[in-house]
Amino acid sequence: MSMRRMVRKAGVILVAATVLCATGGTLFAGGSGERRPAQEEITFTSWRTEDIQRMQRINRVFMEENPDIRVIFSPVSDQEYDAQMQAAIGAGVGAEIVFVRSYDPGRVLYDSDLLEPLNQLLPQLESFPPAAIDAWGTEEGTIYAIPFVGVTHGVYYNKGIFRKHNLSVPRTWDEFIQVSRTLKEQGETVFAQGTQEGWPLYEVIYSGLGANFYGGEAARQKLLKGEMRLTDRPFVRAFEKALELEEFFPRDHSAIDYVSMQQMFGTGNAAMFIGGSWEIGIFEDLGLGDDLGWFPPPVERVGDRLQYCFHVDAGIGLSRGNSGNAAALSYLEWASTPEFAQLFMNELPGFFAYTPGNYDLNHPVASKMIDAAQDADLTVRTVWQHLSAQVPSGNELMEEALILMYNKAISPQEAAAKVQNGLNSWYPAFRN
Amino acid sequence: MNMERLRKYRDRTMLWACLGAYGFTILYPLYLMVITSLKSTREIFTDPFGLPERLNLQNYLTLFETSRYDLYFINSVTVTAVSLTLIVVLAAHAAYILARYAFRFRYALYLLFVMGLILPIRLGTISLLQTMIRYGTYDSIVSLILVNTAMGIPFGVFILTDFIKMVPSELDNAARIDGCSEAGIFYHIIRPLLKPALAATALVNLIPVWNDFWFPLIFIRSDAQRTVPLATALLFGQFQTNYGLVFAVLTCASLPVIFSYLLLSRHFVKSLTLGAVKG
Amino acid sequence: MNHTTSIPGTRSVWPMIALFTVPAFLIYGRFLLLPIIQSIGVSFYSGPGMNPSEFVGFDNYRNLFTRAPYNVRFWNALRNNLIFFAIVMVIQNAFGFFMAVLLTRPGKGVHTMRILSFLPTTLSVIVVGFLFNMILNPTWGIFNEMLRIIGLEQFIHPWLGDPKTALPIVSIAVSWQFLGESILFYTAGIDSISPEILEAGKIDGVSFFQEIWHLILPSLVPIIGIVTIMIFVGDFTQFDIVYAMTTTRGNPAYGTDIFGSLFYRAAFQSPSRGGWGLGMGATVSTIMSLMVFLGVSFWLFIFNRQKKRFFQD
Repeated sequence: MSMRRMVRKAGVILVAATVLCATGGTLFAGGSGERRPAQEEITFTSWRTEDIQRMQRINRVFMEENPDIRVIFSPVSDQEYDAQMQAAIGAGVGAEIVFVRSYDPGRVLYDSDLLEPLNQLLPQLESFPPAAIDAWGTEEGTIYAIPFVGVTHGVYYNKGIFRKHNLSVPRTWDEFIQVSRTLKEQGETVFAQGTQEGWPLYEVIYSGLGANFYGGEAARQKLLKGEMRLTDRPFVRAFEKALELEEFFPRDHSAIDYVSMQQMFGTGNAAMFIGGSWEIGIFEDLGLGDDLGWFPPPVERVGDRLQYCFHVDAGIGLSRGNSGNAAALSYLEWASTPEFAQLFMNELPGFFAYTPGNYDLNHPVASKMIDAAQDADLTVRTVWQHLSAQVPSGNELMEEALILMYNKAISPQEAAAKVQNGLNSWYPAFRN
Repeated sequence: MNMERLRKYRDRTMLWACLGAYGFTILYPLYLMVITSLKSTREIFTDPFGLPERLNLQNYLTLFETSRYDLYFINSVTVTAVSLTLIVVLAAHAAYILARYAFRFRYALYLLFVMGLILPIRLGTISLLQTMIRYGTYDSIVSLILVNTAMGIPFGVFILTDFIKMVPSELDNAARIDGCSEAGIFYHIIRPLLKPALAATALVNLIPVWNDFWFPLIFIRSDAQRTVPLATALLFGQFQTNYGLVFAVLTCASLPVIFSYLLLSRHFVKSLTLGAVKG
Repeated sequence: MNHTTSIPGTRSVWPMIALFTVPAFLIYGRFLLLPIIQSIGVSFYSGPGMNPSEFVGFDNYRNLFTRAPYNVRFWNALRNNLIFFAIVMVIQNAFGFFMAVLLTRPGKGVHTMRILSFLPTTLSVIVVGFLFNMILNPTWGIFNEMLRIIGLEQFIHPWLGDPKTALPIVSIAVSWQFLGESILFYTAGIDSISPEILEAGKIDGVSFFQEIWHLILPSLVPIIGIVTIMIFVGDFTQFDIVYAMTTTRGNPAYGTDIFGSLFYRAAFQSPSRGGWGLGMGATVSTIMSLMVFLGVSFWLFIFNRQKKRFFQD
């Protein structure tokens, strides 16, 4: 082989290597490797991988009305969603339409300029409920996501098991405990509850059931202003009440993860499940069917007003650089109509749209959840707003404290103190 | 004599008992994984240990219908094939120079390469992420090819330099006298002799590259660019409450690796042993 | 150096030297060496988003070591990681060595077992983690079911829920997977001991254990070193197993949180889920790099001395 051929051969390697380094990206460019069809393609992402089929059915309706647009639903798992959003949108390869979490967890996105403001693009947002708008906007009134759906927290029960033991739905906490005791004595698994993962403990048990004891929205507002602490009596009581349920949790609950919890209740192996409205579909898929019942968080005394955790859950945002993307805009336009909201609620019972309009909630359990809101003070998860903006975030602290409490490592007082101490280190209203 | 035989018999039994127990702990979980994937959820609960009532491929059908598994598989194959080729080709060229030519900084360069053997590439992830975003390779399997290649080069250079050094330089000189160019020596004399070592380099990297989960988790977002391990984790989340389906996902992720290992096991063990002894 | 060619008029060889080494070095340098160095650079910055821009000197390090919650997480991860490493190291070295001794005896089935032993190592860590998770599931997992069947009901335990057992279980899962790797190394080492030495031992009538202690073990010292270094580097950057078995939060209540999961959370999660920003994330990875570097140097030092001692005997 001549020197020249050698140089050429080695040169090819070098060129190949540099081509890979430098332009590889444009050759394979992420996600849309195929040649762009005449159709305009937009991607919609969320943290709910379990919704793929349902979302595809919803999007099909849109695509039939807009044959020149193709909507791809490409969710990321809940655990990874927040981590990937920043990098993806920052790199300009993120989905055009994105689910945005409410308050602090979503705020990270628009504070780093990764979402387009929607006030001008979708003037109809003005008519959405202000409380919902707040969850995805700034103090100055810029809106970064369609305030789309909320979820509620309460207790699911298995009607069959309740019927078998002649039990009626409890309204007060004492009745709740009584029912639990009866079930336990009858040898039933009372709650399909696990304490391995922290978020159900915080989001559903503490915020959902605890709100009745710490004083709901009024107390949460005081907490935000620094007029109350988590170590104050009402908040500590909510911790104590949460712990009262532990004796009715299944054996080895500390190793039961969220999926096993769902599995246990959904297959009829437990009498109750303290959960969120987003689980209706899961339980139906698992075959619970007509036996699925639901009641709101038990109040302390008959006649007490329900403090109902109706949490702002998901907004729909437009990722950076897409304010001129006609396809994405027409999808957003559609996503802010009652038609979309109704479709979504049909497919995903348990999600409640903020979009103004009249809806048929034909799902019996979902309508129970909405009915409960009629005579209740609405609130959101205890430390979700403002208190989770920095490290250590309230959400994280709550989850850790509750896991420790349920594993008997710390008392309710200590749990409350642990969260409060963490927040004291950075939350301005607590810093004096 | 009788005593002796008895003892031998006892030793043999002990040996087999140990090996048998170990074999069981290896195979039983894998066996469970496969049979559970062939059961319906009801069967999993009622009869967790037994064989499925009948051959039921429903879980696999659902898996292939609802996901783009073929695509994930192709992506994994592409990443692995391209990375291994690049590792072998690039490392072999560099190793030839390092083994055969005296030049300034030769040893320094060698050390620099070999240092990579103990530098975990994960520790550069933050900067790599920024780089991939800048290069436009974020969310593309190209990013995975680049990091996997970078990860494999140190071992390739190390092992191949060693091998080339073992080739007697008389062969080079003879070729040189016959009028062979310097590069020609590499392509015509060294490379044919190097084949087993090249295969070993590729095989040693095969498992870590195929199974890499960390970088896809951080670099890949869209469905179309997912590799098998990343897809496994996501599908696990997606099908979480359907245990049969979950086990089908795990089985699909493992069987190709298990089969190719068993097919190539002789070469595998030899290559890895080579790495072990040299290392 | 013997085989090295240095041709008179080397000038003509230079283009080849460059063309042959530069591509490999380019990729290796750009995507391995440089990123590790650059990540160290990022650790001196703070700020949101993908490119932290506010120079803060050593503040990130000060926070990591002294300020809650950073220091709490850091020391917790260090403690867990050391326990994790210790368990894996003992299991993999002890069992690996023991099995290797058995697998180098002549006998039927030994060859098959050698091949089989490496099988779990070929699997993805994710798969192994999920698999163990399902087997240990407290509500229907096969492991507890098995205990029940063989009458050891009293040993049924929330394996992955109890902070005392979760970490050992995760360590066992990792050891189960990578035991084959240490077996492979040790069998290679034993195979390479010259048969005369072992033969000589046989004639002298040494017992099985004497043989192991006096003949096999000394020649394996370097391999123990290599295996331990590999485990060390692997365990201090391990992430996948925690992800699959106890999530990136290292449940229960950070009981299985090790450096890999801490790094992932700190660098890539949003603040409400435990993210600390890229600057702090880079600080964690820099400390990890430092630890790997010190650890490897330490082991090399120790094992070189051990080796010398054995050679003096």
